[in-house]
Amino acid sequence: MTPLPRSASTVIIGGGVQGLSAAFNLAEMGQTGIVVIDAGYWQGGASGRNGTLIRPGFASTAWTELFMLTVAEWKTWSKRLGENVMFTQRGYSVVSEKAASAAMLEEATAMQRDLGIRSRMLKSAEISDLLPAINRKRVLAVQHQEEGGVAPHHAALKGLRAYCEHRGVALHYRTKITGIEVTDGRASAVWIGDHRIDAGNILSCAGPDNPDMARLAGVEIDGFGMKIEAMALEPTRPLIKPAIALIDSLAYFHQTSRGEVVGGTEVPERPRMSLRVDVPVMAEMARIYLEMFPQLGPVRILRHWAGQLHASTDYAPLLGEHPARPGLWFSAGWSYGFAGAPAAGRLLAGAIGKGHIDSRMKPFALDRFQTTGPIIEKGIVLA
Amino acid sequence: MSATSVQPTIRWNGKSIAVTEGDSLAAALWRAGVTTFARSRKLHRPLAWTGAHAVGALAAVNGLPNTRLDQTPARAGTVVSMQNCWPGPGFDLLRLMQILPERLLYGGFEHGHLMPSSGLSYRLAERMMAYLAGVADTAPTGWEGAAIPGRDITVDHLIIGGGPEGIRAANAVAAAGLSVALVTRGRTPARFARNAGQEIPVLDPRVDLHKETEAFGGYRDGDLVLAAPVNGTGAAVVFRPGQITLATGRRSMPPVVRGNHLPGVFDAHAGLNLAAEHGVRLGRRVAVIGTGDEVALAARLRDLGHEVVHTGPAAGLDRIEGRARVRAIRVAGRRILCDTLVHAGPWRADPNLGFQLAAEGHYQLLDAALPVRVTRIGAATLAPEPIHIPAQPDKSALICPCMDVTLGELLSHIDAGEHDPEILKRLTSCGMGTCQGWPCWDSMLAVLAARTGTRPEDHARPSHRPPRRAITIAQAAGLAGLVEPDK
Repeated sequence: MTPLPRSASTVIIGGGVQGLSAAFNLAEMGQTGIVVIDAGYWQGGASGRNGTLIRPGFASTAWTELFMLTVAEWKTWSKRLGENVMFTQRGYSVVSEKAASAAMLEEATAMQRDLGIRSRMLKSAEISDLLPAINRKRVLAVQHQEEGGVAPHHAALKGLRAYCEHRGVALHYRTKITGIEVTDGRASAVWIGDHRIDAGNILSCAGPDNPDMARLAGVEIDGFGMKIEAMALEPTRPLIKPAIALIDSLAYFHQTSRGEVVGGTEVPERPRMSLRVDVPVMAEMARIYLEMFPQLGPVRILRHWAGQLHASTDYAPLLGEHPARPGLWFSAGWSYGFAGAPAAGRLLAGAIGKGHIDSRMKPFALDRFQTTGPIIEKGIVLA
Repeated sequence: MSATSVQPTIRWNGKSIAVTEGDSLAAALWRAGVTTFARSRKLHRPLAWTGAHAVGALAAVNGLPNTRLDQTPARAGTVVSMQNCWPGPGFDLLRLMQILPERLLYGGFEHGHLMPSSGLSYRLAERMMAYLAGVADTAPTGWEGAAIPGRDITVDHLIIGGGPEGIRAANAVAAAGLSVALVTRGRTPARFARNAGQEIPVLDPRVDLHKETEAFGGYRDGDLVLAAPVNGTGAAVVFRPGQITLATGRRSMPPVVRGNHLPGVFDAHAGLNLAAEHGVRLGRRVAVIGTGDEVALAARLRDLGHEVVHTGPAAGLDRIEGRARVRAIRVAGRRILCDTLVHAGPWRADPNLGFQLAAEGHYQLLDAALPVRVTRIGAATLAPEPIHIPAQPDKSALICPCMDVTLGELLSHIDAGEHDPEILKRLTSCGMGTCQGWPCWDSMLAVLAARTGTRPEDHARPSHRPPRRAITIAQAAGLAGLVEPDK
């Protein structure tokens, strides 16, 4: 490994999809001297453990505008990175099982269409056509977003890493930030043991460790780290075409291009920071699969794993400079972070590199709880 | 009834095959001379049951995909067909993939090579890839899916592994008046020892025996252990054990040479299962290799009517030759004609359950000391035997037959400077298939160590996870509500 540099234009903490997306966008804008530091291994965090689902439309305009940008960015990544990120717009279906969520989806569809997204509520025949294997008895309504889809994380992370390495971004994995230096109130350097890196700006994309990074700089950030779990089934030929979110059962899944059905669900638990798995999520996810796609009954479960994320109070991302610590930026609080990374990377690179705070970023400011208030978003599969 | 009864048959790719009472489907097929049970994902290499990996023993049985032929009894009228072939079972045009240079498929379809990069052309390519990659058709429509209610068993002592050591341990607990459950994958306990011709202790009837059941998950420091019947339709079990004993024994590692997964290569467990338990002749000329047990194994196979043409150390094997099945082996430059190779070592214990029970971590699950309630006994306590990697390794040796990862593919990353096993796993999908890293991660670590001048134990293992295909959705759904979330 190359030695750690002594100074950097931007030190990015976290070499997952968020950190690498920001590094890629900054490098593309012409910034040099970018350093990425990650305590874990490449693809080891949530970036390598997530459901890989991508959609533009949510229930709030703030989320929707951010994720419209992210879909637009995803479409350009293969070309810009020079590596196939395998983003496929195979569609994303949000399935409602209850009247309240069906009404929410109707309303969201109207809003999304106003913003120019090709979202629609499916007619009964269309549901059968698109989701022939779904248990219709459980389905009240389906909102379909044609522009949504999936991108396998290994492909996106490989493309980002290759681009960053080619453009001279210094990537250091298994390297832990132990201190953040503050000079005249501004974050000015990071410490890795006794090695100091002088930093023009510091961007924390540290997932569940973001609260710790804020504390290293003597400030607090909303939210806490927690684990979530997902699992993959043994490959079969295509049964489920679009990506699917079950808004009432709190589950999300898709069938990968190599045939595994991959997804997860939420079971109310004490938040924990661990990569260990537990029985309830596997059992609950299996119950949901069996009810929604009875044909999955005899399919075997290959692998069940856990990942960790940084949950903010309103589950919306925290984007921007810390109001109490200039020079310290965050792309934090993500629960849809894999999908959102292309937008976040672009917006944060614009903010850090050019001082331009885009209007799509403003609602996600770190101090929103004291100013504009939390973002109410009913279209996310989280509880 | 007339004196001459009609012998029962099964259907294999449309052809009728006679079966013998008590046969597994794998035994019936091998007995009938069928040597290709499956084809690998990328290169469509011929695969059969080898014991070391399940992938060669998977086929569609009565329409149900991915069924283990070695674990399914051959009942009259069973319809079995090969998966992962196009246009149909028994005739696989895609085997022409084997003429492609292996390098071309490094990384696989899912790692971006050979793929158009965006838009409609990628979507079409993806669809084809999904068809090719999802090796099996899904269950027929109309499969009436219902959750299979799970069982909840509190027990003083749970013994995992039904070999002689497991039986003795279970008997001792029962004799002490404590409740004890014994979980074994076999149809009977101590199957391997019995097939090897050893004396077997009698299991105390007070032991709650769960046979043909796999214990696949350890949770909450051992508060919970999950197991499920291997047939996929019996009730899964949540064990709440006071003590846990891992008597899971060891398995023989496949040799890391060309042809190591050709049909006709068996590990000692699988070879003896066919030869002793089912009375199947493995082949006309059998070679036996190992790390010391090969002499006893060869003697046993001779007793069972086999002609053993070679007995020697596993590290002396240079390559295995053959296209559709073993035709010869090369040992120290000498070519020995044989159609079967059985390996008895190097022996290593399956790390999965111990890893699950012990490993913890924030950035990575790292193996640690077992919780105090968990003990290993018997062969599972023995030091893992080294896997021999030749000084000039053959790039064609398969490391992960489930995902068709060759030694050459691993070396392409190792030589480019990538020495982190977790990353090698992610770049190649090695260990991400049917077997979930056992035994292929042991082979991968041996290759990595040999290439980098390190020891395998210098490298952190990739995370072993449950349930490694030991439970179906219907079985797992029956566990919903049995275990309280950790609040």
